[in-house]
Amino acid sequence: MTEEFEPKIVAFLCKWCSSAGSDLAGVSRMEYPANVIPIQVMCSGSVSPLYIFEAFNRGADGVLVSGCHPGDCHYIKGNMYARRKLLLVKKLLEHVGLEPQRFRMSWVSAAEGQKYTQVIKELVKELKPLGPQTKLRRERNG
Amino acid sequence: MKKRTGIFICHCGINIAGTVDVKSVAAEMAKEPGVAHSVDYVYMCSDPGQNMIEQAIKDKKLDSVVVACCSPNLHETTFRNAAKRAGINSFKCEIANIREQCSWVHKDKGKATHKAAHLTKSAVKKVQKNESLEPISVPVTRKALVIGGGISGIQSALDLAGAGYKVILVERSPSIGGHMSQLSETFPTLDCSQCILTPKMVEVSRHPNIKLMTYSEVQEVTGYVGNFKVKILKKPTYVDPAKCNLCDECTKVCPIVVPNEFDVGLTGRRAIYIPFPQAIPASYTLDDKNCPDPFTTIACGKCADVCKVKAINYDMKPEIIEEEVGAIIVATGFDLYDKENMAEYGYGKYADVLDGLQFERLCSASGPTQGKILRPSDHKEPKEVVFIQCSGSRDPELHCAYCSKICCMYTAKHAMLYKHHVHDGQAYIFYIDVRSGGKGYEEFVQRAVEEDGVIYLRGKVSKIFEENGKIKVWGVDTLSGKPIEIDADMVVLAQAMRPSNGAQELAKKLKLGTDKDGFLAEAHPKLRPVESVTAGMFLAGAAQAPKDIPEAVAQASGAASKAIGILSQERLYHSPTVAKVLKNLCTGCGMCVAVCPYDAIAFKDGKVEVNEVLCEGCGTCSATCLRAAIQVKNLTQNQVQEMILACLGG
Amino acid sequence: MVKHEDVRAEAKKLLESGKVKYIIAYELGADGWKANPVFIKKPEDVDKIIWGPTCFHNLIRFVVDEKRRKVQQKNPDTRPVGVMVKGCDSRAIVILLQEKFIERKDVHIIGVSCEKTGVIDERKLANKLKGRKAKNVEFGPDENFVVTTEEGTVDLPASEIMADRCLECIAHVPVITDVLFGEKTKRTVPHPFGSVEKIETLSSEDRWKFWSEQLEKCVRCYACRSVCPMCYCDECVADTITFAVSPDTTAEEKAQKIKWLDKSPVISENIFYHMVRAIHLAGRCIDCGECERACPVNIPLRMLNKKLEKEAKLLFGYDVGFDSEKPALISCFRDEDPEDFIR
Repeated sequence: MTEEFEPKIVAFLCKWCSSAGSDLAGVSRMEYPANVIPIQVMCSGSVSPLYIFEAFNRGADGVLVSGCHPGDCHYIKGNMYARRKLLLVKKLLEHVGLEPQRFRMSWVSAAEGQKYTQVIKELVKELKPLGPQTKLRRERNG
Repeated sequence: MKKRTGIFICHCGINIAGTVDVKSVAAEMAKEPGVAHSVDYVYMCSDPGQNMIEQAIKDKKLDSVVVACCSPNLHETTFRNAAKRAGINSFKCEIANIREQCSWVHKDKGKATHKAAHLTKSAVKKVQKNESLEPISVPVTRKALVIGGGISGIQSALDLAGAGYKVILVERSPSIGGHMSQLSETFPTLDCSQCILTPKMVEVSRHPNIKLMTYSEVQEVTGYVGNFKVKILKKPTYVDPAKCNLCDECTKVCPIVVPNEFDVGLTGRRAIYIPFPQAIPASYTLDDKNCPDPFTTIACGKCADVCKVKAINYDMKPEIIEEEVGAIIVATGFDLYDKENMAEYGYGKYADVLDGLQFERLCSASGPTQGKILRPSDHKEPKEVVFIQCSGSRDPELHCAYCSKICCMYTAKHAMLYKHHVHDGQAYIFYIDVRSGGKGYEEFVQRAVEEDGVIYLRGKVSKIFEENGKIKVWGVDTLSGKPIEIDADMVVLAQAMRPSNGAQELAKKLKLGTDKDGFLAEAHPKLRPVESVTAGMFLAGAAQAPKDIPEAVAQASGAASKAIGILSQERLYHSPTVAKVLKNLCTGCGMCVAVCPYDAIAFKDGKVEVNEVLCEGCGTCSATCLRAAIQVKNLTQNQVQEMILACLGG
Repeated sequence: MVKHEDVRAEAKKLLESGKVKYIIAYELGADGWKANPVFIKKPEDVDKIIWGPTCFHNLIRFVVDEKRRKVQQKNPDTRPVGVMVKGCDSRAIVILLQEKFIERKDVHIIGVSCEKTGVIDERKLANKLKGRKAKNVEFGPDENFVVTTEEGTVDLPASEIMADRCLECIAHVPVITDVLFGEKTKRTVPHPFGSVEKIETLSSEDRWKFWSEQLEKCVRCYACRSVCPMCYCDECVADTITFAVSPDTTAEEKAQKIKWLDKSPVISENIFYHMVRAIHLAGRCIDCGECERACPVNIPLRMLNKKLEKEAKLLFGYDVGFDSEKPALISCFRDEDPEDFIR
């Protein structure tokens, strides 16, 4: 029996917008795939590039960073720094040959439960055909 | 010391247990390193549930707990309090959200259970490395600053003063009153604007708790909620209000005439002037931008010569006043969209194309025409007047994308007032939509149409030009599809409202956010509409968004009550999950200093240090630092790494 | 053309007057044709100083070391150190100033213009000479080098033996100096990111193939880090720890040490290390090429750093190492920063 590949995804969600948006998706009982394990951070601006490298290194098939829309950041402008920093990370990952679909950033507001489910559904759909991420994954854990 | 973490998995009835196999999650968690206790229960948030946690902490000597339940936004406080009651630090309790982020969004029981276990494990890893922290406490300066002396600022100041707090009200122009003092009548009741405003202005001037600083501007604000330090520039008026007896002799001799701001340029005023008769403070101001005039270098001295009470003092100097306050209300109001931007409607080019505020002055009994509506060009009574709504509003391509909200109502009022003054005249209103939400508003618009015969034309004006002493208005009535040509005597533009001049710079000084249009940003569009993004600073009136008078007043009172919420405290408590510098690693490069949205990081001895009271714990510094030399307590990079591992393991 | 005598005279003046502590410069190496770094401490030694197309080294690394030593000293000599800098090296000073690692008064910058060329690439030269040994390499009058071997003197065009980074150089004249030798020549660089662009044209899979083959070779000797003037952290995040231990380090802090990646030189860890290094050098790498030159296994490390320099320029309009007053690349943003990748 060949079981369908289920990508493992780590999602860094900012507390004020995207995590609240994912809560709203829950309150509204919007169904989406269970592949994503969220980690709540205070702000998308606090997501260090190392978190993303580490997640891929530890076997994530995809990584999502989601923050507040521009202008809505609870911390005024943390998301703006995130946007710049993580675009560099994305460019670097793609430069070394990682599939672009594997690292994604989104803006999801506290009101966008629907959008959150959409983002997750798309991400899972795009990652399934790619199969497991082995390029950056370490062989043994230690 | 070996960790002793307790795990409590909530069923939430069937909300969680219906999708997540809570028993197996509890069993799986029991095997995790450092877990001393792992149970499930039907409603953890219930009293028996909380008791169960407290009892377990005591009996099993737990040093930390994870409650896997609903969103931390709901019961984090509940469980942290329970942990505290049982004798462990409240930060030794973490929530794993297995309801909103798991059971409610997944159907497959196997997958949901698997995910719930990962979420719980992630919380376990985090809590095991949480520090015990106590809230940071700071004393409160029980005094407020209100910036802007329009109706919003006046209302906030009066509410604060009425509640017994000292207030400093700063207004940059010579008198308080703002735009409301320029209006003739107010919709939908048509009561006289000045008649309802001036009693409040007088109250401000007489209130023992209010220190009024007109002709003054906020220069610098430092500090933090409860403890702001403010520098206020008091510009010289060159007139001592204590001596001035308002005899008005000075203006009679002053040779310099400049456009009168109060009449929006429809009249002139002297370089020494009182903005309007009911101005507060009741005193004259010598405007040093215009006196002495640019062609001479010294003042002519005529006003001082004629002043019998010797109130005029040319040697007055600007002063910087320093004040300490606990809360700040920003009520900097609006200005109309710039004339230059509306060249297509001939605004600024034809004398008889006016904006709404100019028309208010024409209608006003205290205005340049003593309430007679006359054309500025030839002082004749206009018989056909075209009012154009959304002039600069709702036009994302060329002008402002937003709706200025009050123009539909005041245009209806203008048309009505015009008809009341000129009985045989005709008023036309070009509109896109008529938005009349508000108590008595729709009825008011209907009254304009039915009783005063105002003609509403749905469509945009395409061209305005002057011909034979008339202002030709070409437009299209989109309802009938017919082109329309009106030979108008006067055109009144309902100009968009925009944040007042200088509001952007002030926002920078206060470190307040602004939205894409430059209006001050509220902390939450729905639930925190009067709070700014900076703790201890509140927003009132049109500075935040276009508003009419009742809305501005309501927000002003809301802001005052929020400020009172701070000022009524002895001390304020601040979350201790703030950034911390690891001095050994810090090289003082200052990248964190540059990114900190709160200026909470400062250089010290070649390294940096965090002001824990200013820090909000966003962690942007931590992600910017190349050396991981700055970390947010209880969400360190180490903790996040553990969480990443927990999420991906198994 | 920069005259050796001029540089030497300046050095002599500086040392004699006691204006500088010592001078970090180039001397002729033991092999008789390549330059070596040298610390000139006495006026009588200034005649050792040379300048030529083999002055590869970015001497700013020694400025970093000097600062580190100074921090340790009780009563440090606060006079500046003199340092010879090429255009690229001068940008490293700008970064150190921008990051407040050094102060302007810590260095006396003796700038030398690369004028029409730059430094050579030893490997390119060796290929060109086909086994003949170079005895001397000098700047030619134009975009060329004059190479002397046993068999005589040949004139080789810069395009053939110059280092790649010099072919793509955007600062052949130092951007910050106390004294400058040589002409402020104009130079146009048609493809400042040409070499990176070649890799960019590859497919995702081919890029992965390229990098995995390259990074598989990495022996984790950290030579790249050791020569890099921007890698001045006392402890590298990419190593094993992030928490330096000192007498006041608490047990709890020790427990917070992070091991991001494994020391073993396997591909996943190698790539992690090099990605961390690249991202930490984004907006800071000034393309002196020292990492690549120092690499014992010839990994084209410039192609990682140059990629992000390119993105900084293209995406954010950010020029690296020209203005010490402006914020670091990731410490600022523009409202119009691209966000079409955010969905």
